[in-house]
Amino acid sequence: MTIGSWLPAVLYTAAAAVYLANFARPKPGVGRAGTALLGAGVLAHTFLIGMQTVQAGYAPLVGTTAAVSAFVWLLGLAYLYIELSTDERAMGAFVAVLMAALAVLPALNPGVESRPPLLRSPLFTIHVLSLLFAYASFALAFVIGITYVLLFKEIKAKHLGFFYARLPSLQALDMMNARAIGVGWALLTAGVIVGAIWATQVHASPDPRAKAMSFADPKILLAVLCWAMYTFAFVARGAIGWSGRRAAWLSAIGFVIVLLNFLPVGYFLTRSHNF
Amino acid sequence: MRLFAVGVTHRTAPIELRECVDFARTGVDSALLALTSNGVAREAVVLSTCNRAEIYAVADDDRAGEAVGRFIGDYHRVPWDRLAPHVFQHRGAEAADHLFRVAAGLDSLVVGEPQILGQVKDAFATANGLKQTGAVTHRLFNTAFTVGKRVRTETGLGEGAVSVSYAAIALAKKIFGDLTGLEVLILGAGEMAKLTGVHLRAQRVKGLTIASRTASSADALARQVNGRAVAWSQLPDALADADIVIGATGAPEPVLTRARVEETMRPRRSRPLFVIDIAVPRDVESAVGDLDQVFLYNIDDLRTIVKENLARRSAELDRAERIVTEEVARFATWMQSREILPTVVALRQRFEAIRRAELLRLEPKLAGLPPEARARIDEITHLIVEKLLLSPTEQLKSVTDEALMVSYSDAVNRLFGLASDDSAPAIDRRRGQKAS
Repeated sequence: MTIGSWLPAVLYTAAAAVYLANFARPKPGVGRAGTALLGAGVLAHTFLIGMQTVQAGYAPLVGTTAAVSAFVWLLGLAYLYIELSTDERAMGAFVAVLMAALAVLPALNPGVESRPPLLRSPLFTIHVLSLLFAYASFALAFVIGITYVLLFKEIKAKHLGFFYARLPSLQALDMMNARAIGVGWALLTAGVIVGAIWATQVHASPDPRAKAMSFADPKILLAVLCWAMYTFAFVARGAIGWSGRRAAWLSAIGFVIVLLNFLPVGYFLTRSHNF
Repeated sequence: MRLFAVGVTHRTAPIELRECVDFARTGVDSALLALTSNGVAREAVVLSTCNRAEIYAVADDDRAGEAVGRFIGDYHRVPWDRLAPHVFQHRGAEAADHLFRVAAGLDSLVVGEPQILGQVKDAFATANGLKQTGAVTHRLFNTAFTVGKRVRTETGLGEGAVSVSYAAIALAKKIFGDLTGLEVLILGAGEMAKLTGVHLRAQRVKGLTIASRTASSADALARQVNGRAVAWSQLPDALADADIVIGATGAPEPVLTRARVEETMRPRRSRPLFVIDIAVPRDVESAVGDLDQVFLYNIDDLRTIVKENLARRSAELDRAERIVTEEVARFATWMQSREILPTVVALRQRFEAIRRAELLRLEPKLAGLPPEARARIDEITHLIVEKLLLSPTEQLKSVTDEALMVSYSDAVNRLFGLASDDSAPAIDRRRGQKAS
């Protein structure tokens, strides 16, 4: 189990190294090797999650560590989809590094946590999966946003160099950012609504965590703030033309909130989501 | 079998002379047929571009190089005296080196330009279509294609725009992705404006708008480039619609001030504006470049980009040269292994002929033996010949030094009384073609 639980993290780290090498000095063979490693990592991760599901009898989504694992897995799938459909590898350097860094958490803590009776609802699975997928989309939007700003600065400063030679056009990056925000926003909305319905259903439960499901809880509060943030980003693009750099900054701020909510708040602060 | 590269290029001959020997003008086909039908060459490929007229020929004669040079003169009716000082002649590995450098774009006017590889491919395809190619040209040109491809993928020789207009187009593509949906506003209607307009039209932009202080010249240019002319007073509206603005007026002072552009940026929201100022003195205030969504490049900025790209390309030259050297060495080895082949074949044929003659001579004595025994004798004698030849064959094939090869070949020919040279290349050619 130990090797199996470390394998995705090791493969993601190798993929990140190869993606960075390819970013520093692009070569078709190296790029393909990076994709292959990342694909192998996602595959190993799929097996791991599958094994855990079979062994536990339920999807391993209980607790922040398991959620991080599922998040990394979904991010890998989403990124590979984008890379294979656009044939753009430059973003992979950023995404693979993020995945490699986060994959260490589940690798250090590989066990599947037991599922309290509170979470025995299909609504819980839908809630977690759609939110994690939303987070993966926001992570991609964040990476795309960073690359947009870097490229923008290069062109504006008339110093055409590193990013100019490696990134797709500003227009293409902006479109990809818009799509990632759009998909993420839809999933975030769905996830929050399902979560709210589920919370009212379990409100009578004796579990103290069910009682803590309110806006006073930092996790829920930040989630709502996050939703407001992305709603603004989503609407502002169409209504007041906040595309390009502004959209990029919004997706960066949004993802910082997501990460804050996900890791420190999820591990230490929340009283409602500390499973 | 000798390989030659003969011709004129932009390095050896002035444009006036290159025009006179342009094969594209008279048709490459007839030149190819003439070359082989009059016995100058066994195999031939004619490479004709605006910067070069070259013939790659394979011939038996060591002096075929000059014959090919004279052919170029005769074919185009240019006196040899006039042509000779400008004709280059390369033999063997040097000829291969020349072609590989050409295919890699190392011999081009703009080093690293990608079109030449396609032209080399076309030249070979034409000659191949007319059945003027053979084993040597096949190997030579296929290696040249490999060199071209390797240089493109393994080095940065072809990267980065190396002319001002391409640098501008590349920038526009990096900002907008695709130019086909874009509105372009050209300020001015002079020669620079016209050149830019024609260039952008070729890039299939959506709309070209011409604004000039002189309405008549704006109209004239608009008709020429299939665009739309607007009055100078409507400049703010035209500016609001534009994605790319090109400053090309002869005005002594900036016509686009920061205040004027700022006004039009607000309703544009986040839509970027790419301003290219190619006018001297400048048409656009440099403060315009400080505006949030404006990218401002003047002619000097574009020239700097071009200069940087050229510098980067020349830094990649060494790597490209190394690839060429590598492939030339490989090709030369192959050529040399072919040189010895006729001798090897003749030697084997000689041994086999002796074996058959002896068997025939002994026929009356062997007639009484059962068929199995006769088959055995045939087999044993064959084996003996094979074993005797094994070491000499290997030794001959492993010689790579040209001088040594000639003396080996000479010695073998004398020691075994092999047939004269005429039959050997013919055998060689048949084998070569089968192999290719």
